[in-house]
Amino acid sequence: MTTLHTEVGFDVAWAARAEARATEGREPAWALERRRTAAALMKNLSFPSREDELWRRTDFRTLEAELPALDPFAAPGRARNLDDLPAPVLERLGAETGPVALVVQRDSEVVLEQTHPELERQGVIVCSLDRALREHEGKLREKFGALLHPDFDWYTAFATATHRGGAFVYLPDGVEAKLPIRLFQWLDGAGKLASPRTVVILGRGARATVIEELLSETGERTSFHLGGTEVFLGDESRLVFGTLQDWGRNVYHYSNQRAQVGRGAELQWIQTVLGARMTKTNSYFDLAGPGAQAFVHGFMFGDQSQHFHLHTLQRHLVDHTTSDLLIKGALKDRARSIYQGLIQVSEGAQRTDAYQANRNLLLSSKARADSIPGLEILANDVRCTHGATIGQVDEEQMFYLMARGLTRLQSQRLIVEGFFVPVLDRIPLEGVRDQLRQVIERKIG
Amino acid sequence: MTTKTMDIRDGYAEKYGFHDAEQHVFKSRRGLDPEIVAQISDMKGEPKWMRDYRLKALEIFEKKPMPTWGGKLSDIDFQNIFYYVKPTSEEAKSWDDVPADMKRTFDKLGIPEAEQKFLSGVGAQYDSEVVYHKIKESLEKQGVIFLSCDQALKEHEELFKKYFGTVVPSTDNKFAALNSAVWSGGSFIYVPKGVQVEVPLQAYFRINTKDMGQFERTLIIVDEGAWVHYVEGCTAPIYASDSLHSAVVEIIVKPNARCRYTTIQNWSNNVYNLVTKRAVAYRDATMEWVDGNLGSKLTMKYPSVYLVEPGAKAEILSIAFAGKGQHQDAGGKVVHAAPNTSSKIVSKSISKDGGRAGYRGLVKVAKGAVDCRSNVNCDALILDEESRSDTYPYMEIEEDRVTIGHEATVSKIGDEQLFYLQSRGIGKEEAAAMIVSGFIEPIVKELPMEYAVEMNRLIQLQMEGSVG
Repeated sequence: MTTLHTEVGFDVAWAARAEARATEGREPAWALERRRTAAALMKNLSFPSREDELWRRTDFRTLEAELPALDPFAAPGRARNLDDLPAPVLERLGAETGPVALVVQRDSEVVLEQTHPELERQGVIVCSLDRALREHEGKLREKFGALLHPDFDWYTAFATATHRGGAFVYLPDGVEAKLPIRLFQWLDGAGKLASPRTVVILGRGARATVIEELLSETGERTSFHLGGTEVFLGDESRLVFGTLQDWGRNVYHYSNQRAQVGRGAELQWIQTVLGARMTKTNSYFDLAGPGAQAFVHGFMFGDQSQHFHLHTLQRHLVDHTTSDLLIKGALKDRARSIYQGLIQVSEGAQRTDAYQANRNLLLSSKARADSIPGLEILANDVRCTHGATIGQVDEEQMFYLMARGLTRLQSQRLIVEGFFVPVLDRIPLEGVRDQLRQVIERKIG
Repeated sequence: MTTKTMDIRDGYAEKYGFHDAEQHVFKSRRGLDPEIVAQISDMKGEPKWMRDYRLKALEIFEKKPMPTWGGKLSDIDFQNIFYYVKPTSEEAKSWDDVPADMKRTFDKLGIPEAEQKFLSGVGAQYDSEVVYHKIKESLEKQGVIFLSCDQALKEHEELFKKYFGTVVPSTDNKFAALNSAVWSGGSFIYVPKGVQVEVPLQAYFRINTKDMGQFERTLIIVDEGAWVHYVEGCTAPIYASDSLHSAVVEIIVKPNARCRYTTIQNWSNNVYNLVTKRAVAYRDATMEWVDGNLGSKLTMKYPSVYLVEPGAKAEILSIAFAGKGQHQDAGGKVVHAAPNTSSKIVSKSISKDGGRAGYRGLVKVAKGAVDCRSNVNCDALILDEESRSDTYPYMEIEEDRVTIGHEATVSKIGDEQLFYLQSRGIGKEEAAAMIVSGFIEPIVKELPMEYAVEMNRLIQLQMEGSVG
């Protein structure tokens, strides 16, 4: 499994093509140079080893065998307006048919990017990352790649060399975006590979809500979505960032998300995982300034043979920071979940208050849940706690509901739905909440 | 802030840090190869199957990579170690027969005293060999066997062969393979059906020779309905170069039986303590590990229990105290392989003066092991800003009808608690020591009284000069 790709060479060829395409797209010299550096790194890396702690429990070998056959350059052509978007995306947009700040990616291309006149007046930028590299390179130069490094693993090096699409969201100091900014990733059919990079920058005291949705219909052949997201919260800023994943069952998904929270800033992070054949995400939260706070709420709900692997890292780099994390997981059928979390408190990061909870509900005897919450604490004046539970539906709750006339099945449905509520309630868009609820209901069956 | 710069291991040098002049009857050359392994086996006059087992284990050891997790192992130089040092030609049955130097050592450590006062039996290992072994006659009459492992292989080969290597195979991990190749000494205990050994059996392990590796092997079989409590303690003199202690402990707890294994590990802080301890518990049996880690440079030890039949129970109590230059990677592991099994792990770790203490554990529920319960509770205290605490619990659950919980907290000594005690006229240092004693109390109270006293004393010693 540690085959060097140079033997195959598909990645090298793709990186060269991606660079040519980027040159044509007038990407600045430094960005092109970064692609080349990543491509060189990639050549010396192998697919992640199963010995690697982050890969022991997730086996991507089926995907890796199919990778060379995927199409990383699928470009379906730009959408003229909302009407050209896939129906499920429109459904998610719901009532918002008017001007909405929006970036929609289809396969490897951003097909629609628009902003709201009011946001534009405030100096808010919402566009594709490809455009941002051309038109706002000054704002990106210091940030792009500052948190997510290409040497993290082969996938990250590959994605850095070949990235296309993704969104750029920028809020100047003191600006509050009242309207939510919506980002979509859509994969058409099957056999596709997308590697978008998204960068969100909030200036000092800025406020925004950014909701990213990952959607596709189930196709017959494998597709692969390889995401990379970097989020920067300036001092005193506040961001609600949601990643709502509901890929078709043919999709393998691997995503690296990084957030840096500045002095006195507050991040509300929401992550929901419902779709995909296999999902692996690494979400790192750097509490980088005193008073920084990160609140992370997520859930995964797996059925059939879905495989979810969520890794989170709460990094308390300086003193007086807070993080609070809750990841819930429910599993049906033969589904499998892995939650692997770590709280790290750096030397000198006194007065850290960190919490990490993982709750798992097993709904079938064939399901499997692994929970690996961890603590690495290098300061003494701290309060760090974690808790994890794994169990089945509480019989007492069932009894209570059944005593009120509900059938066993109805009771179980209600309990499972209720299980997700604390996370669902964090999503600030009612329409989206309702749709997620429907997905959950369908999954409960 | 007190200005006393007391080392956490102060007191160790006077109490355990002495060493005798080396007066072994045999010492292998440094390093490890098939010749040395064969030599050890020949010296011991072992049957061929054991000689072959050792040589095979050496091959496995050489093939296995070093673990990349846990502590820093790269400084261990396997070729600079003496793998076998035979201190005396005979194992003594009477205290008077123990050579004078060693007697003095164990006298200082209080072994004969302990034997007289409160033990059912005592074994004392000095470097590679057990030099003294004694068990109460009444127990011997009931068929209890308490011997060094070497002696047991000679006297009870069939019984020994039936169980040896069945719980921890030589392929288990690199250090288990190493032990399987060069093992020497350790205890063998067999408790027949229904026999209750009311007071503990004890073994004492001592490394005397410089650059020495101690690789004792312990095998305990508790037959149906029987009960035994085994206690081990370890110390070593302080040399400038590091020693390696790599033991394997295998325990079989038959139906309805109960075994408790208590360790007070107080190696000097130049010892690498890399130990594999594992028990198998059958129907309605109970296995309890009480694991206190105070000494060593690096300890990597995760006592484990495989619950293989319904109703089996596991309890692991772990205390780790890491001072200056120490890394205690302690923990526990329970595999629920049968329905209706339960486990409880309680871990308390304390780090101080730049030490690193932690919990690493696994709770696994295998397919079919329904109606299991497991609860893990880890608390850590960090006493100053240079120190570090880690918690790495793993939970792998393959059944839905289970109740699994894990909780961990890391904190410092509460200012309010300190203030409360000080307001009652207790000095700050003493107050901190009291809080630490209270912190580990749930585990200390499980120790036999004499050990509880010793444990508290050790903790107090380590707490001196600690409060800022």
